[in-house]
Amino acid sequence: MKKGIILTVIFLILTIWFIHQRETFGASPVENYKWYCAQCHGLNGKGDGPNATKEQPVTPRDHTDTKGMSKLTDADIENVIRDGGNATGKSTMMPPWGKTMTDAEIKDLVKYLRQLCKC
Amino acid sequence: MKWIKVYQKLIVVSFSMVFTGILAGTVNADVAGGQKIFEAKECGACHLTKGPNQDKTIEDKLKRKGPDLWFAGSKFKKEWLVKWLQDPKSIRQMAYNSIEKKNPGDHSKLSDKEASDVTDYLMTLTSIDVVSGTIQAKKDLMGKMVFEKKQGCYGCHLSMRGAKVAGGLTGPSLVDAGKRLQGDWIYAYLKNPQAIIPVKRMPTYAGVLNDSEMKSVAAYVASF
Ligand code: HEC
Ligand code: HEC
Ligand code: HEC
Repeated sequence: MKKGIILTVIFLILTIWFIHQRETFGASPVENYKWYCAQCHGLNGKGDGPNATKEQPVTPRDHTDTKGMSKLTDADIENVIRDGGNATGKSTMMPPWGKTMTDAEIKDLVKYLRQLCKC
Repeated sequence: MKWIKVYQKLIVVSFSMVFTGILAGTVNADVAGGQKIFEAKECGACHLTKGPNQDKTIEDKLKRKGPDLWFAGSKFKKEWLVKWLQDPKSIRQMAYNSIEKKNPGDHSKLSDKEASDVTDYLMTLTSIDVVSGTIQAKKDLMGKMVFEKKQGCYGCHLSMRGAKVAGGLTGPSLVDAGKRLQGDWIYAYLKNPQAIIPVKRMPTYAGVLNDSEMKSVAAYVASF
């Protein structure tokens, strides 16, 4: 009887903790990439999303380009995601996401980009 | 003499009361009629009419089938709305929430009478976060600078670039934004997106742009 109550309480605490984690941790990097980044960089990161039309002044960076992407440090990538193209002297066509995603989500995206470029 | 004057006044007062009663009655009839049409046609299957929107995650947003209308009266110009409901030309280039499929352009159409009643109904749906009278549409130079240089708003939105329509495709077209949108709503959306559209593919600019930049770019877009 007592054991049952204790187990129920532990189970409840764990459930609440789990829900809380999900809320504070935000979305997964894949989910964020597909939702925010792919509209320009493409679902596979090749720089070919629907916003990369002919008339745009610059093309979105190909995130699978190992050579080009390896020139950027993790801090460069983090800064450009947070503050936009301006941060690395690139075009403002790359928007700033620092007020849209949490720092943790942005750091996760940096790791995800490293997987995409294999660099 | 005195009694006659009082009597005259009474008649005027009671007449005006009846008159405003009739007026209010007919106005309400249109609003109620519009709401009935909205319900009968199941517009609510795709559109939220009771705000604010409680979405927290991308998953929540992906369940939605159409843009929110709970602030329609604060967002749209009435003349635009009544015309669009009869002849709904695509606003978004891509299908709702999609970055792969094109907008099929198959939105349901209403007759002029239905459109006028539904417009009366939708114009009663407002948001307290949209303060009317703040933004005057203006070919604002600072607004233009923000739109084209400081930020690349046209990265995701079609707009007139010189005499040509150009820009990105994932945001609603802003080509006729001035005919469609109220500047006050644009400003409220930029300033506090949480209160208007909490989950969206557009970046949050509050804290990136300052208040006068947001006002300027809202005035500029409202002048399109
Ligand atoms: C509106 C379109 C657009 C969106 C949305 C967008 N980008 Fe970009 N991004 C660009 C463009 C254009 C460039 C190239 C800028 C240049 O070369 O001057 C770029 C460049 C970059 C670069 C390379 C910067 C450098 O110094 O070379 C990184 C990294 C990047 N984007 C990451 C992201 C991530 C992560 C997201 C999603 C959170 C994202 N972008 C969303 C348009 C976009
Ligand atoms: C199957 C889902 C669906 C139904 C049902 C539907 N709509 Fe829509 N509605 C949409 C989509 C998707 C859009 C965006 C169209 C576009 O961008 O061209 C839209 C756009 C609108 C807009 C413009 C909103 C904006 O922010 O641009 C209005 C107003 C509107 N609908 C009213 C109605 C009314 C009134 C009805 C009922 C007669 C209705 N809708 C039924 C899906 C729906
Ligand atoms: C990364 C893409 C992107 C960028 C950059 C962007 N937007 Fe948007 N914008 C969107 C999307 C997507 C929506 C639709 C939001 C929703 O309803 O979920 C939107 C909606 C809007 C609307 C409302 C239009 C309507 O009819 O509902 C306005 C106005 C607007 N944006 C203005 C701007 C301004 C001003 C800027 C630059 C400061 C800007 N946008 C930059 C993607 C973008």
